[in-house]
Amino acid sequence: MNETEIMLLYASPRRKGTSAMLLERVRAVTGGEVVFVPQKGSLDDLVLTMQKVETIVISGPCYINTYPARLIELLETAAQVGGFSGQKLYGIINGGMPYIHTHQHGLANLRFFAEQNELTWMGGFVLGGGAMLDGQPLEKHMSHRKVVPAFDQFIQHIAKGAPSPDSLYEQAQPAPGKLVTRIFAHLLTFMVVKKLRKHGYDPDAPIC
Amino acid sequence: MIVIISDDSRGDWGRLLEEALLPTGRQLVRFAADNLDINPCTGCSSCSGKTYGRCVMQDDMQQVVQKIAGCQALVLLSPVVFGGVSHHIKKVMDRVALLGDPRYRMKDGELVKGMRVVPGMRYYMIGVGDKLSEAEQKAFLSLHAENRKIMDVQGQAFILDSRFDKSALEQVAKEISHE
Repeated sequence: MNETEIMLLYASPRRKGTSAMLLERVRAVTGGEVVFVPQKGSLDDLVLTMQKVETIVISGPCYINTYPARLIELLETAAQVGGFSGQKLYGIINGGMPYIHTHQHGLANLRFFAEQNELTWMGGFVLGGGAMLDGQPLEKHMSHRKVVPAFDQFIQHIAKGAPSPDSLYEQAQPAPGKLVTRIFAHLLTFMVVKKLRKHGYDPDAPIC
Repeated sequence: MIVIISDDSRGDWGRLLEEALLPTGRQLVRFAADNLDINPCTGCSSCSGKTYGRCVMQDDMQQVVQKIAGCQALVLLSPVVFGGVSHHIKKVMDRVALLGDPRYRMKDGELVKGMRVVPGMRYYMIGVGDKLSEAEQKAFLSLHAENRKIMDVQGQAFILDSRFDKSALEQVAKEISHE
């Protein structure tokens, strides 16, 4: 693919994190330009640029069960501007919780956007437990044995312009069992409370 | 206290809901999110670390969070946008993350986080749309269900047609005030 064929749209306010790492992994195979969604100002020019490519891949974090507000604003702006003509749209969303269902709504947002605005929804990839990576390679993911080949297969779908089924990421990330979940709850809470106490806070203190 | 946060860019819905809730005698606080100066969350995580419980960005969200932290019911009212909420409402949702309990616990076999709010606070979402498909309505309701799950709060979501009449909103107001 050349640069006029694919746009890799980075929808996180943090420049280096798991969303960036995943998009760079896509770019290593497909090529294309990484474009950042600006966190301020008009989005009209970005929309016009989106209309010049054949394929758009959006990668972003999961905030409160879907993509961040600024990406929603971009989709709303794009819908107002109009002018899309069948561009292929793929989505990647990653979040901290190890459950697909917690983050999946982001892909539903993109699917409805595509269907209502003359783009072609091609599928996406949901990555749970992604926040813990914090930009480290996907090979460090707790379920890397299944997640790495599944995500690389997703990239191949993008490279070939083929649809990517939800089953690809669903089968790679079964929900952890109750014992693992209990261990996670204790371990993560221990780490969080340790960090708060280091900063001098009591996690039970009321909101000021 | 019931806090109403509405995106009124497509209709005066927030005021209409406030009027419908007035007969309940509950204290009502209303914010029109599309008229507030709210910056998008930057994901800096300061609110769960260095400045625990406080956002470093100084804008209108400071006053909104104070009210949400003390309310018995939070109602978000939004046009249904691609199966979810509008960006005005999503900005509020993203910034309310600072009220999230950073600790993890198990509920129904899954990790949840909970909220540092008034115990028993209820959370509602009202989506307004024009001839929404069943799929889009389902997605909106599902978003609310996922929010409630991770926040470990009770509440309901409602979908209204954009040409809703007063009685439809009064019915929603009744559901909200009776729970």
